[in-house]
Amino acid sequence: MLKKLIARNNITIHGDGNKSMLLVHGYGCDQNMWRFITPQFKDDYQIILIDLVGSGKSDENAYDYDKYSSLEGYADDIVEICDALEVKDVSFVGHSVSAMIGVLAALKNPAIFKKLIMIGPSPRYINDDDYFGGFSQKDIDELLETLDSNYLGWSSTMAPVIMGNADRPELAEELEHSFCQSNPAIAKHFAKVTFLGDNRSDLDKLTIETLILQCSSDAIASIDVGQYVHNHISNSKFVVLDATGHCPHLSAPNQTIEAMKRYLV
Amino acid sequence: MNHTIDYKELYNTSPCGYFCSLPDGTIIDSNKRFLEFTNYEREEVIEKKKVTDFLSAGGKIYFETVYSQILKLGGAVEEINFDFVKKDGTKFPVLINSVEIKDTEGRHLFTQSTVFNISQRKEYELELLIAKRKADDLSDELIQVNKELRSSSELILQQKLQLEEFNHHLKNKNKQLSNFAHIASHNLRAPVTNLNSLLDFYNESTDIEDRAMLFAKFEKVIGHLTETLNELIESVKIQENVNITHEPVIFDIVFDKTIETLEGQILESKAVVTSNFSEATNIEYPKIYLESIMLNLLSNSIRYRSPDRIPKIHFCTEINNNEITLIATDNGLGIDLKKHGHRLFGLSNTFHRHPDSKGVGLFMTKTQIEAIGGSIGVESEVDKGTTFKIILKKNI
Repeated sequence: MLKKLIARNNITIHGDGNKSMLLVHGYGCDQNMWRFITPQFKDDYQIILIDLVGSGKSDENAYDYDKYSSLEGYADDIVEICDALEVKDVSFVGHSVSAMIGVLAALKNPAIFKKLIMIGPSPRYINDDDYFGGFSQKDIDELLETLDSNYLGWSSTMAPVIMGNADRPELAEELEHSFCQSNPAIAKHFAKVTFLGDNRSDLDKLTIETLILQCSSDAIASIDVGQYVHNHISNSKFVVLDATGHCPHLSAPNQTIEAMKRYLV
Repeated sequence: MNHTIDYKELYNTSPCGYFCSLPDGTIIDSNKRFLEFTNYEREEVIEKKKVTDFLSAGGKIYFETVYSQILKLGGAVEEINFDFVKKDGTKFPVLINSVEIKDTEGRHLFTQSTVFNISQRKEYELELLIAKRKADDLSDELIQVNKELRSSSELILQQKLQLEEFNHHLKNKNKQLSNFAHIASHNLRAPVTNLNSLLDFYNESTDIEDRAMLFAKFEKVIGHLTETLNELIESVKIQENVNITHEPVIFDIVFDKTIETLEGQILESKAVVTSNFSEATNIEYPKIYLESIMLNLLSNSIRYRSPDRIPKIHFCTEINNNEITLIATDNGLGIDLKKHGHRLFGLSNTFHRHPDSKGVGLFMTKTQIEAIGGSIGVESEVDKGTTFKIILKKNI
């Protein structure tokens, strides 16, 4: 069973601490995105990294369009993985869409999780009456168009994104490999599920201690959205990082690590 | 002529846009070409705009979730297609390459980007994209049609198998009918002809004793005729009764019953009848069939015994290749298989000028065995004896 899951989600385990930390990447990347964060936790934690099915080096054949037509399918995987690894009191770190996947997993089986850390979460990207998600249906259609136009070239060449990185060639090779494996049809489906979903009602049900890490300027998940998430999770703390973009763990890793450590103590 | 390269001029007039941005995306320098592409004045862009300000909302998501992550992780990103928004709100498609510039300690100082206007190529690309979508749709359709074809071909195969089975059934029926016709023309007509002749004799005769003798013959022939007819009717019933029930049958018990039934004939013929069913003691089989098969074989062996020696008849079972075989051996008259082998099990075939021959028993036995999926074979030598080997069925 575990062997099957390891292949399905490309599970890798790092560090030699006695506490458990599970980090899950968001849309568009894979577990490589945690590379600046994990070294700082490996002494205290057993760090579990996964690729969501359909991303990175996960088993593409396991991508079931029905199962992954909502985030529930991914949340089921998280619970399954924690059960198989027999880990408890897990500190769950979810970036972007995986923050919501973490919420759903914690609602399915709260016993597994000790704390949730959300990086740039959004329960709903599309504006809706009084709710400001930041995007319209039209914007998401544009995104899908952008995906299409970038895959037009990608689908026929093996190395769509060539990384010029002379001093760390292994990094380039790894990423190239990783992105080659992102199937355009899956990426598009995942984009729809991610950006058209609505998980606002799930936030109110969450009781687990939660940290929300918010970039001061994030085009994907604005401060308003972060504030909304904070307001709807009873046991949550809201921290705004002085960072730009949607990936503070890449653009401001030190700030991110510091905020995480302060919360996990 | 003196070719001095003015790098500033090259930077500004190159047929592609250059800009330099801080890690937070703020543009701190750009060449003239980029400003031409976007229709902005230099002072409107430099330190005023971020890269994402040139992108639509959908483009921004792609920028943050894909472009930025690749750039941050690998230090460079190439050939990403965005639509850049001009000052007047119109868009033009670009390909963008970006590379991070770092200081000696690896700190990200700024990002250099090159932007190519790909308006013409994009139109062609859109056509390709539309064609690709159409092809994908067609491919989906084909897969669907293929699926349907496969399932209907499966259905046809099933129907074919059903037809074959039906055909097989019909062939059997046909065989039965032709056998029946055979009986009508031989088994039944011969005695009837015989009766007619007897009748002629009877009518012509005036002697009372002769007439009494002829009448006795009438009775005997009519008796045989009736018996033959009854057995024929029985055999047709067997052939039609496909779903007869199987039950556990013990060979010893059936054999003892057979001996009891034929006790008179055994005593009369002084036959020595033995058996050994130790190899296969029992079988799942229609009990009445096994009784009938044993009765026919034993009575045949007694009937066709040799007058020159004490009849010895032995029944036993064997297991060969997971099949239970019943073997009946005698030291009787034997059959000339070269002469009669091909019609040994047909109807109305008698091979001995024997007063009791009716030619039905073996036919019925064969019919019963085959109805259960078995087969019957025979080895024989004239005046030595006969062995019947009956593969009852695969059982183990």
